Amino acid sequence: MEQVVTPTNLEELSSLLRTCNQQQRAVEILGAGTRRHWGNPVAATLGIQTTGLSGVQEHSWQDLTATVAAGTPWSTMQQALAQHGQCVALDPLFATRSTVGGVVATNDSGALRLRYGSLRDLIIGITLVLADGTVARSGGKVVKNVAGYDLQKLMTGAYGTLGVIAAVNFRLHPLPRSVASWTVGATEIAPLDALRHALADSTLVMEALQLRTTSSGFALDVQFGALASTLQDHAERLHFLARPLQPVPAAAEVWQLREQLFAPEQATAKVTCQPAQLAALLPLIANSGGTAVAQQTGTLLAALSAQPGLVTQLRQRAEQLGGALQLLAWPAEVAEAPPRWSEPRGAIALMREIKRQFDPQSILNPGRFVGGI
Amino acid sequence: MLPTAILDELRNAVGDHGDGPQRSVITAQNQLQTYECDGLTNFRVLPAAVVLPANAQQVQAVVQVCARHGIPFVARGAGTGLSGGALPVEGGVVLSFARMNRILEIDLANQRVIVEPGVINTHVTDAVAAQGYFFAPDPSSQTVCTLGGNIAENSGGAHCLKYGFTTTHVVAMDVVLPSGEVVTLGSSAPDAPGYDLLGVFVGSEGTLGVATRITLRIVKRPEAVQVLLAAFDTVADAAQTVSDVIAVGMLPAAMEMMDRLSAAASEAAAHPNYPVCEALLLIELDGPETEVNAQMQQVTELCQRNRSWEVRVARTAAERALIWKGRKAAFAAMGRISPNYIVQDGVIPRTALPEVLDEIARMAAEVNLRVANVFHAGDGNLHPMVLYDQAIPGQEEIALDLSYRILYLCVDRGGSITGEHGVGKEKQQAMGYMFAEPDLDTMQRVRCAFDPASLANPGKVFPTPRLCGEKAGPYTQHPLQAAGIAEIF
Repeated sequence: MEQVVTPTNLEELSSLLRTCNQQQRAVEILGAGTRRHWGNPVAATLGIQTTGLSGVQEHSWQDLTATVAAGTPWSTMQQALAQHGQCVALDPLFATRSTVGGVVATNDSGALRLRYGSLRDLIIGITLVLADGTVARSGGKVVKNVAGYDLQKLMTGAYGTLGVIAAVNFRLHPLPRSVASWTVGATEIAPLDALRHALADSTLVMEALQLRTTSSGFALDVQFGALASTLQDHAERLHFLARPLQPVPAAAEVWQLREQLFAPEQATAKVTCQPAQLAALLPLIANSGGTAVAQQTGTLLAALSAQPGLVTQLRQRAEQLGGALQLLAWPAEVAEAPPRWSEPRGAIALMREIKRQFDPQSILNPGRFVGGI
Repeated sequence: MLPTAILDELRNAVGDHGDGPQRSVITAQNQLQTYECDGLTNFRVLPAAVVLPANAQQVQAVVQVCARHGIPFVARGAGTGLSGGALPVEGGVVLSFARMNRILEIDLANQRVIVEPGVINTHVTDAVAAQGYFFAPDPSSQTVCTLGGNIAENSGGAHCLKYGFTTTHVVAMDVVLPSGEVVTLGSSAPDAPGYDLLGVFVGSEGTLGVATRITLRIVKRPEAVQVLLAAFDTVADAAQTVSDVIAVGMLPAAMEMMDRLSAAASEAAAHPNYPVCEALLLIELDGPETEVNAQMQQVTELCQRNRSWEVRVARTAAERALIWKGRKAAFAAMGRISPNYIVQDGVIPRTALPEVLDEIARMAAEVNLRVANVFHAGDGNLHPMVLYDQAIPGQEEIALDLSYRILYLCVDRGGSITGEHGVGKEKQQAMGYMFAEPDLDTMQRVRCAFDPASLANPGKVFPTPRLCGEKAGPYTQHPLQAAGIAEIF
């Protein structure tokens, strides 16, 4: 990268992009750079960093909505919203370093997705700047709104290839007042998967439910969020469902274990499948010496030894199950990195046409996305 | 009227050889009239033909015929839409999904149900209720409206405050694009690689293509459900109660409000035994029994603190059903107190409710009309119903004008022109009030990628139809237009 520019307002960002577009100059869109390697590398001489667009611009706490500039660090936003006991109910990776725009552009999510949905369900409006400098807004500041196309969904997870996200309108949730987390361990996956299914099929109110590999086998973690009296009842019901296994209070860090799957010498992958298939993937990863944390929603993060064959094998298995594998990290010193993305199913021609309509000269993060978009 | 050769192609597409008892291509004038409008009856257009495909292959074949000959088509479910979204295009084809009403697959282990688009909303819940599951989106018309229509409009309902909208509950879809090509959007696994075209398709009001197979997410039915009815002397007190409930961190399954006029009409229609009051609040809580009991106590106290003079908790499932029956009958009940009425669908930030209602009352008084109000109070979604009499010359125009001015008021207060009914034909012009030109142009880029020839439900949603030119970007005159070959109208 020869140069990185950090615009400090919408007008600067718009005129910068317009100039680049006129010059057909490719740009890489950057937040804090925490997920820069989640897609294909971008050949660009100019970086545009959104960190100059920062701050919670509006927090209508009585309406449970907020407008946040894209360059705001995720945890800074959450601290501001917490002043009124509220939050964006999502626990992405690297919250202290990541920007809001980066989390949205990569559609990251965590354990809370089970209860509150993904970013698709939490974003109610967006301000974006297109490659030609057009500033456009979609959605709005109200939770319920079906006027016009839902461009905020199109931008979520588009890896900055359709436009630069400048600000995001979120629907908020109250911070959970009382939660309790439990862990159940076993040497085999089967009894834990049965418990996972029993919990999913129960009326217990769960904030999060995950399965993971451990040094001695596997573990299931569950977090209940309810009134204190209900938490007691839920604990009893969990103990009943888990028999003969014994739930124990969960260690504080179980919901942050995903971050430990990023280590310099390892490959890290995001694998997706349906919930009932998680039990087929976890032993596959464990048997090859890998570690993984999987959410009931069907997203799984795995750390693997950096051997292309292992990644390919896991990818094939995930694809057979109707899911996909995205390679998030690969050690720079190991050659022959497998492709970052699974091949998109169908619709790729339509995706290319969407890209052409939004960024006809392909100046925004060219090549980063699925299918080389 | 379409040429005979094209009608024959359409008949071939759906296997209608003219000898069976059930025709699949309708062209008789008197039969076409059934399809001339949807739930918004003041717009009527007769299509050239109505085609009733029986499966996805037939849908594709019909769309291919339309694409080949440049014939516009409009998909139609039960025709219950309230914004004219299923209004036919003159000279165009209506694709009715009445015969594609099968539930294809139920996968309880992954909480998925796969349906054809003509399946009625409540039939999904009926199919999984015995196992303790339900399909959450519940528009008031849910006993007749179809999933295809729900997807086109991104339908909501009273319970979307807690459970989200149709878009929250659709994970994958097979779609016939306007070109006739079939694509799968989304996947049963989360986060399918690529752009979230599924998310854009839901709520696009039939302008991006036609869904033929839909994978839905179902939800476990909570352990306990309780409904509370509270009577207030002022809308402000009821609205404050709603804010207070949210402020203590509760997320009720539903919070609905009715004003005196709408509650009285519902009472006459469904006899739910509502108290007579200025503002009636209906709050439903669900979840674990211990939690619902504790929260219901808290909600009752909040109602009383805001001067509610009657708080009634439904004790039985039958009592609960009756309360909801009254609420869901609200629109139809207007017929009992007014010869004609217009249902509107605006959204405002919830906290603006008392002020906006005062303003609506003032605007109505100015033109001597009555407005009855029903709203999903939890999410600020208003359904003002402008009452009028068509027999009085000029009154319909005044009523229509008032209903649009109410929408503009919603936009002025930071809200939206539609929360769940869609833009359709009815609110196209209001789109131009809510969004700036660059916003609408950006949305058009999506349209041009999906439907460059503008065949799928054309002339809806956007205030001015646009041709998809060769060059993407801010709108410029199309070469055909410049040459005088085509015109924009």
